[in-house]
Amino acid sequence: MNKLSTTNLSRRTVLAGAGALGLASLIYPGAQARAAGSTLRVRSYGDIQILDPAYRLAAPEGDITNVIFAGLVITTAGDKWGWKPMAVETIEQLDPLTVAFKLRDNIGFTDGFGQMTAEDVKFSIERIADPKNESPYAGDWVTLKEVEVKDKLSGVIHLKEAFAPLWTSTLPTPSSTILSKRAVTEAGGKLGVKAVAQSGPYLLKEWLPKQRTVLVRNPDWKYEQGAYDEIHVHPIEDEKTAELGYEAGDLDYTWTSVSSITRLKQTPPADTTVVEKPSLAFVWFGMNKAVAPFDNPDARRAVQYAVDRKAVVDAAYFGAAATANGIIAPGLVGHREKNLYDYDPDKARELIEKSGLAGQTVVLDILNKTERLSAAQVIQANLADVGVTVEIKQNDSGTFWTLGSKENEYSKKLQMVVQRFSMQPDPSWATEWFTRSQIGVWNWESFDSEEFDKLVNEGKVELDPAKRDVMYKKMQDLMEESGCYVFLTHEVAGVMYRNSVVAALKPNGEPVFADFKPA
Amino acid sequence: MSEQALIERRPLTRLGGLGRTLRRIMREPLGALGLSLVVFVVLMALFADVLASYPSTKLSPADRFQPASWQHLLGTDHLGRDLFSRVLHGGRIALAIALGATGASLVIGIVLGLIAGYGPRWLDNLMLLLFDALKSFPTVMLALTLVTLTGPSLTAVVVVVVLVSVPGYARIIRTQTLVLKSAEHVMAARSMGASTARILAVHIMPNVIGPILILASMDIPVVVAIEAGLSFLGLGVRPPMPSWGSILNDGFANIRDSYWIVVAGGLPIVLTTLGFTFLGETLRDVFDPRLRGRG
Repeated sequence: MNKLSTTNLSRRTVLAGAGALGLASLIYPGAQARAAGSTLRVRSYGDIQILDPAYRLAAPEGDITNVIFAGLVITTAGDKWGWKPMAVETIEQLDPLTVAFKLRDNIGFTDGFGQMTAEDVKFSIERIADPKNESPYAGDWVTLKEVEVKDKLSGVIHLKEAFAPLWTSTLPTPSSTILSKRAVTEAGGKLGVKAVAQSGPYLLKEWLPKQRTVLVRNPDWKYEQGAYDEIHVHPIEDEKTAELGYEAGDLDYTWTSVSSITRLKQTPPADTTVVEKPSLAFVWFGMNKAVAPFDNPDARRAVQYAVDRKAVVDAAYFGAAATANGIIAPGLVGHREKNLYDYDPDKARELIEKSGLAGQTVVLDILNKTERLSAAQVIQANLADVGVTVEIKQNDSGTFWTLGSKENEYSKKLQMVVQRFSMQPDPSWATEWFTRSQIGVWNWESFDSEEFDKLVNEGKVELDPAKRDVMYKKMQDLMEESGCYVFLTHEVAGVMYRNSVVAALKPNGEPVFADFKPA
Repeated sequence: MSEQALIERRPLTRLGGLGRTLRRIMREPLGALGLSLVVFVVLMALFADVLASYPSTKLSPADRFQPASWQHLLGTDHLGRDLFSRVLHGGRIALAIALGATGASLVIGIVLGLIAGYGPRWLDNLMLLLFDALKSFPTVMLALTLVTLTGPSLTAVVVVVVLVSVPGYARIIRTQTLVLKSAEHVMAARSMGASTARILAVHIMPNVIGPILILASMDIPVVVAIEAGLSFLGLGVRPPMPSWGSILNDGFANIRDSYWIVVAGGLPIVLTTLGFTFLGETLRDVFDPRLRGRG
C-alpha cells in the first residue's frame, strides 16, 4: 500500500490546507511579491543571432551581451547620456591619445576560462580594430594604435589620433566588451550563438529560438548585483503584438509602437507607467545603386521626388513622429534642418520617363512590422501615382537583417528597402554604416563616395563641435545627392512598464537590463 | 467527413438533377442558410466593382480609423481605406483562390486516385506512399516553408492548398475505384473490349465523383482559412491587394481603438466558412441520408 493511501487526506483537509495557504499569502504578501518579482519579463524587438559583440547584428544582441559579458564601462540609465565603470576599477583619459585603465579584481569568466586580465582587454579591442577580422564595428576603434598591457590588471589604450566619440559611442557600447582571449581562440576566432566565458552580472542560462532568452543572476559577479533572479527576454518583432502581450500580462516591460504612444499615455493599462523619450534612431527608404533599375541616377532621383515623406511618416506613425531631414537626430552635432530633394511628383514623372523606370515593377523589402508595412504601402501608392509598380516583400527579422549581406545571394537583387538603425549619442555612429567598406555589410544601398569616407574618418578625430557640425551636414548632403536615400523619421521612443518595476532606461528609452529593479 | 464514412456509403452515387438537388437542399434549414450564405458571398465578390464605392487600394490617411457610417459601411482602416471595398475585393481573391485551388486539387486528386485504384499494385503502393508523405507534412509548416522559399504570392498559396488537398481526394477516389474495379458493370465493359481510359472515364468516374464534390465543398472554408492565415502572417496576398487575412492583421494591430477592422476582416471568413460547411453537410445528407446527423 502506498503512503498516500494511508494518509487521512479528506476533502475537508484539502480545503482547510488551501484556505491556510491563502491566508498565509494575505498575511505575508511580501512572499508572493518576492516570488513574482524575482523574474523580470521584457520584450526585445529581435531574437539573438550571434553573441559575439564584434559581429553583433542588432541592438537586441547588444542588450544581452551587455549583461552577460563585462565591458570596460557601460551606459548609465537616466535622462542624460553617461557611463559608469563595469569591468574597470579606474579608467582615465590621460591625454587625447591615451586612456589608462585598471580592471577590477575577481572578474571571472565562466566555463573555466579563468580571471579577466588586461591581456583579454588588449585582445578584445585590437580584435575589433584589426581590419583582417572584418568586424563591422572596426570604425569604433579606427584610431586605435594599440592596447598596452602594464600588468595583470592594468593597461593603456593608445590612440593614433584623438577620437571624438570615444566616450559616447565606443567605450560604453559592446565595442568595449571584454571577451576571454582563450575562449575566443578556442572557438575559432568568433563566438556564435552559444555563450561561453561569460563574465557579466547575468548569465545566459537558456535560449529558445524565437521564444525567449533566459538570463540568471551571476553568483560570481562581485559588484553591483542584478536585482532579479532571472530576466526573460522575449523576442517580439512587432510592437503592436508586444503591446497586446503586455496588456495580457505576459510582459513587465516593452517598447511600444510610436503610433500607440498617445493612446497609451491617455489610457495606460492598469498599474503601468508609460514614458515617451526622444529617439536618436533613424528610419529611411533606400535604393540599391548596384542593382537595376537604380543603377541609373535619374531613376533614384525620380523616386526621391516621388515619395511624399510627410504622408509616409504620418500614415505609419499616426502623426506622432516628425519627418527627418537626415540620419542625425535633433540635438546632436550635424543635425540638418532641411533636406535637398522633397516631394515633387511632376519632377518625378519627368525623370521616370527619362530613366525608363515607367511601367517597371520593383521590389521593396521590409521587416514584417505594422509601421513598416504602413510606410511601405504609402511609398507603393506614391510610386504607383507616377507609374511605377512596387511589390512589397515582408521579411521576418532573421531573414531581413541579412538581406544586404554579401554572403547572401539576395543582396545582388535587393532593390529597395525601408530600414531603421539604432543610434548612439554621437553623429559618427550614424554615418559609420554608409562607407564603401560597409557595402555588403550594412551599406545595402551600395552608396560609394570617396569624399564621404574621408569625412567619416575626419569627423571622428575632429574635436571642435562647430567643424564637426559642418562635416556631418555635408555627409548627409552627399548621401542624399547620391539619390540612394529618402530620409523618413527619427521616430520617438515609447516605453511602458509595470509600476512594480523601476525601469532603467537610457535617454533614448533603450533598456539597461542589469539595472532594472523591483519598485 | 471522414474517408471511412465515405467508403461506407453505397458505391454508386450520382448527383441528381440540379433542380431536384436544390429543392432538397432548401428543404433543410441549415442547407437553405448555407446556400444563401454561399450565394450571398459569391454575389458580393462577383459584383465587387459595382457595389464598392471606393477603390480598394486607395489610401486616404486623413480618413483613417473612421467607424462604420453611410460613407464607409464597414468603416476605414489605419490608412483610410474603405473596408467595405476591401472586404468585397478580398472576397473575390479568397474565392478565386479557394475555387481555383480546390478545383485543381480535385482534378489532380481524381486522376491520381483513378490511376492508383485501377493501376497495377506496385503503382498503387508507390502512390500511396506519395500521398502519405504529402499528408504527413503539417499544413502550416508546409505553407511557411514553401512561401519562405518562393516568396509570398497567390501562386504559392494555391500550390500549398493543392499539395495539402490532393492526397485526401486521391485516397478517396482510389478506395472507391478499388471497389468499383470488380463491379459487374465494369467487368462487363472490360469483357466487351472497352479501353482502360473509357472504363475510367465512363464507368468509374461518374460513380465516384459525387462524394468527392461534397468533400470539396466542405474543404473550401479550409482553403479560405489557409489563405487568410498566410495573408495574416504577411505571407499570402501581397499588399496593397486586399485579403480578409491582411484586413484581420490590420485590425489586430489596432484592436484597442478600432474594433471594426477586425470585425470587417473576420465576419466574411465566418460567413463563408459557415455557408460552405452547412451546404456541404446538407449535400452529404441529401445524397446519403444514412449519414444524417453524423459529424
